[in-house]
Amino acid sequence: MKRIICIGNRYDTRDEAGPKVYDRLAQNGLPHDVEVIDGGLAGLDLLRFVDGSERVVFVDAVSGFSHRAGVVVVDVDEVMEQTSAPYDHAAGLPYLLRVLPEVCQGTTPEIFLVGLEGPPGEEAVLAAAELSLALAVEGCAANALARRALSGTSG
Amino acid sequence: MSVIANPDVPVKRSVTRTLNVPLNRVEGDLRIRVEVDGDTVSNAWSSGTMYRGFENMLRGRGALDGLVITPRVCGICGTAHLTAAANALDVIFKTQPPPDALRARNLALMTEHLQSDMRQAFLMFMSDFANPAYEALPLYEEAVRRYAPFKGETAIETIRQTKEVIEIVAVLGGQWPHSSYMVPGGVATTLNQVDLLQCQHLLASFKAWYERRVLGCPVARWLDVQSIADLDAWLDKDDSHRNSDLGFYIRFAREIGLADVGRGHDNFISCGALELPADSQVRGRGNSDTHLIPAGFARGTRVSPFEQKEVAEHVAHSWFEDYEGGRHPFEGETRPHATGEEGKKYSWAKAPRYEGLPAETGPLAEMIISGHPLFTDLVGRDGANAFVRELARLVRPAELMPAMERWASELTADDTLYVPRGDVTEGEGVGLTEATRGALGHWVKIADRKIQHYQIITPTAWNGSPRDAEGVRGPWEEALIGTPVGDPANPVMLGHVVRSFDPCLVCAVHVVRGTRSLARKTV
Repeated sequence: MKRIICIGNRYDTRDEAGPKVYDRLAQNGLPHDVEVIDGGLAGLDLLRFVDGSERVVFVDAVSGFSHRAGVVVVDVDEVMEQTSAPYDHAAGLPYLLRVLPEVCQGTTPEIFLVGLEGPPGEEAVLAAAELSLALAVEGCAANALARRALSGTSG
Repeated sequence: MSVIANPDVPVKRSVTRTLNVPLNRVEGDLRIRVEVDGDTVSNAWSSGTMYRGFENMLRGRGALDGLVITPRVCGICGTAHLTAAANALDVIFKTQPPPDALRARNLALMTEHLQSDMRQAFLMFMSDFANPAYEALPLYEEAVRRYAPFKGETAIETIRQTKEVIEIVAVLGGQWPHSSYMVPGGVATTLNQVDLLQCQHLLASFKAWYERRVLGCPVARWLDVQSIADLDAWLDKDDSHRNSDLGFYIRFAREIGLADVGRGHDNFISCGALELPADSQVRGRGNSDTHLIPAGFARGTRVSPFEQKEVAEHVAHSWFEDYEGGRHPFEGETRPHATGEEGKKYSWAKAPRYEGLPAETGPLAEMIISGHPLFTDLVGRDGANAFVRELARLVRPAELMPAMERWASELTADDTLYVPRGDVTEGEGVGLTEATRGALGHWVKIADRKIQHYQIITPTAWNGSPRDAEGVRGPWEEALIGTPVGDPANPVMLGHVVRSFDPCLVCAVHVVRGTRSLARKTV
């Protein structure tokens, strides 16, 4: 199974990018082996969706990865490096990614992170939804294409 | 780490100074400031630095919207908020959930406790045992081996086990996270035999790990520990006890004098939780014939009945529009009024009081109010402290799991889980429960099928409250008094005291670190 996990808080306008992408993806039919998940603010509890996945695409609001608003494929290693502190209630995606190799059941899946920089307008949400789906289905091949296409915006 | 003069506090002597304490792992939205006399804390201020405002978001929305919105108050204890919201609506709609619906509600809430207690203990509290401040201790290397972040044996096992057990909530609620399956009249889900077997399997798996790793003995053996003498005997009885994480906790805590810090007011409050299904073999603790966890208020170990009308919220030191004294949550308002950090007001948290008194809440309060002999013995001898507070959290799963097993086995596949509710256009109700961190209440008024009034008092509002109208400190402010600071750049003992309350001020606040970050750091 390939999974797209959209993260964020739909009640906070600064953090609604992930849920908006989820809503967009949920409107349309998905390939039979792709599942989209409203990850909300579940943090470490999202591990249960990572276990057993062939590939996981996280979608989240980001800041500082691009000079302008839009969609960016974020380097997962860079996100992991954002955390070195022990777990706390603020432990989110960086903590999850850091601890994943130690706790993942079975093979650690291929991970991508699609970030939305700035306000998630309709165009950006659509672009993020399409990119997430392409990454989920095609993995690295789509990532290479995306990086070339987004080279003007990726950080 | 900054050492600043506190404009609120006149300088008493040249040896008195005020510190902003770098408890960077408490919460991004919690700031602790202490006044230090010599090496010990002589005064403390706890500041919630974020405005929540969920109450105002709820006003004017549909009567049932609290079921969807309030689980988002907290990413950690959404099931507790859902429970409180559903309980309030049951009162308003005059609905009594069927017995199996109560079981399904209770099991989910208890699962949340199992997960949160273990994560708090081993990923947050005891990771401080691997703090370099303790590197001279004989037990330090073992602490690092067990609890070092990202690699400690117990830490890694805790993540593995707690991500599995929470599947119970997903099975019962049909969704995780942010389940909204509890509704007035029961639960909006169906359970078949496979679901029930899966819940039992997940619980059995967690219990096996808990007994092997945490207790070093069967749950039934631990439940025989009824006094301080029993505790000492249990520890000495067997290597598996001493080498379990519970045994290690006791040994390490004794080594560092954890029982000597964090006394607090010795007032305890529990709203009560886990309503007993009418046909269940599970019996309530203490004298409760309605709930597994009884409600009550205790001064020391003297317990009296809990009356929600005795709850009031003060705002004298909170960034809200002033009113005299305290107000009951049905009369309370949430009108933010920021005045900056200087002056009398210093927190976005209100100050809940019971009969005008501050009270701590959480696993220890539950143990005291239910008359648990071991904890009554410990608090009766020493008062509350950081050691006994964390001990209560470590062993709460042992108290919960027998009832969970019973309820999981009593659940019947395809049984009735919902009774239809009538059309209610107005009313008011109080939804009370025990979240993982303690007493939680939702005070709700409905008018014209819409929410007219919603007030939430969370456990951390009780524990982390600022001063009240009388100037009395909140529970962990009081608990910090007398705590040795040690190295001001690494005040690990202050961290133990505050973390023993399991603080949680999380509500999706944005915290930007550096120039490149995910937009939200708090989940």
